[in-house]
Amino acid sequence: MGINKLTTLPEAISGLVRDGDTIALGGILSREPIACTYELIRQNKKDLTVIVDSRDESVELLLGAGLVKKVESAYIWVGVIGSGLNFRRAVEKGIPRHVEVEDYTNLAIGMRFLAGALGVPFMPVLSMAGSDIPKYNKKIISMQDPYKGQQVNLVPAAEPDVAFIHVQRADKMGNAQIWGMLANDVNIARAAKKVIITCEEIIPTSEIRKIPNMTQIPYYCVDAVVELPFGAHPLGVAGYYWLDTPFRREWLKASRSQETFDAWLQEWVLGWDTFEEYLRKLGSDRLAKLRKLERDNYRIPKIESY
Amino acid sequence: MSQAYTTQELMVSACSRLIKDNERVFIGVGIPLLAGVVASKIHAPNSVLIYEAGGVGAITRRLPWSISDNATTDNALVATELWRVLGDVQRGYVDVAVIGGAQIDKYGNLNTTAIIGPGKSYQQPLTRLPGSGGANDLASSAKRLLIIMRLEKRKFVEKLDYITSPGFLSGPGQREKAGLKGGGPEAVITNKCIFRFDSQTKEMYLAELFPGISVDEVKSEVGWDLKIASQIKQVAPPTQQEIEIMHKTDPLGVVLGSKSIQESQSFEDYYQTMKTSYESIVLLI
Repeated sequence: MGINKLTTLPEAISGLVRDGDTIALGGILSREPIACTYELIRQNKKDLTVIVDSRDESVELLLGAGLVKKVESAYIWVGVIGSGLNFRRAVEKGIPRHVEVEDYTNLAIGMRFLAGALGVPFMPVLSMAGSDIPKYNKKIISMQDPYKGQQVNLVPAAEPDVAFIHVQRADKMGNAQIWGMLANDVNIARAAKKVIITCEEIIPTSEIRKIPNMTQIPYYCVDAVVELPFGAHPLGVAGYYWLDTPFRREWLKASRSQETFDAWLQEWVLGWDTFEEYLRKLGSDRLAKLRKLERDNYRIPKIESY
Repeated sequence: MSQAYTTQELMVSACSRLIKDNERVFIGVGIPLLAGVVASKIHAPNSVLIYEAGGVGAITRRLPWSISDNATTDNALVATELWRVLGDVQRGYVDVAVIGGAQIDKYGNLNTTAIIGPGKSYQQPLTRLPGSGGANDLASSAKRLLIIMRLEKRKFVEKLDYITSPGFLSGPGQREKAGLKGGGPEAVITNKCIFRFDSQTKEMYLAELFPGISVDEVKSEVGWDLKIASQIKQVAPPTQQEIEIMHKTDPLGVVLGSKSIQESQSFEDYYQTMKTSYESIVLLI
């Protein structure tokens, strides 16, 4: 039998996420866990605090749906296409709800997850000195290091209640292989109290054992595994599919007002029962073309003969 | 006489010439990325581009659209973690970084967090911007820092609402006092000119003009009493070779702007455009 954490996305989210949780999401533009974002919106998981370095849709959509009470972030934007209008509307106008902001840098957020992953309370960084980031963020503490007397900024460990990470391949135990850029996922998985892995493909543990160096997240960090092809759409996954730019442009256009964004959510997030239905709505021809755009240019090599 | 090049091409070329051979270049997308590629194909064949999400030394068949898209690890030397490559900057492995900004002051400090506005607050500003991303990390610790921004009065301001990324802070000695390791900004490349920083006062001054641009034209777009170099240089126009490499790398005009992927188009048009552009790119190894 062995360890089996396979489940469905609705079950994973309803079982592991509570209103008021602090969450983290993996990827950056590539491999952002968009299907998880959709399911959080569908299950109306409220009052979330989100800790991220730099994110696109995975956080923008949550903000537009009014589920976020606070962001602890370095950068929220919609990569390639433009400024995140949901983030702006929430912070500037309090629509659909006011969102508290707490700014860091990418390295500082990375250090927060590293501290969380190591089980230590904080990490020092040299960044942010002299800037206004610590002036507005009282969690950042400047001190002189006791060994060399260097000025450093301390940032607290990030210990999210739940992390969502989308990867290329995983086994049912939860060993997750990531190809391409890793962002901060390796530490996010270790820092979080609970981890939901969604993946393009489930593979047998015997395949994991052939290239153990590819296992970036070990099973003991993971609570649930969901096989979810195209789980990052409309974003990309290295070796699997490229960005669906026309789709991204549509939701970004809709996000110009709360009314039109709500209508977009109704059509593309709330108006189906399973993620497979969402994929059917996109159409197999479209998905095949996104895959071809990627695989004609980028394939994960076979390492069998290494 | 009509120009044989566009402003975008001139900016890419001007930026690329500031990248030296053998440098490890921490690159943002857009103009910096194209500049890095042009440099590596011409005068800096041993330079290596590093992308923030963990891609090092990619030789791509596609123009990366972001610091983290799939293409950033295509034919790469290393695919690692975000904190790791930014840690490498802090450690001192990175020679030069190229970043942009929404607002800049005369000491090269940048704001990409919020235009707070009168009567507003950091928590509820007039305009919320994306935030630092890795810009503060690079501005703090990269040995050399190049900044790319369009020259506009609302961007070149006397006082920033919020210092996201440090330039020379409030003047000489302030970076050292704050404990910043990096060298601070070296040049600001705009669509009209190049600014540099006085070695004594640390203040930004007009150093080089793009062809056909006057000093007054630049001064009218700067929100403080701008200092001017005693001998202003003229930026040399891009060469044919540079322009060719730019267009080979960016056949869709994502950066060069001839035909934007952001233009309204159906999925089928998008697919055909992307497919054709990929087919036209020979792997530039």
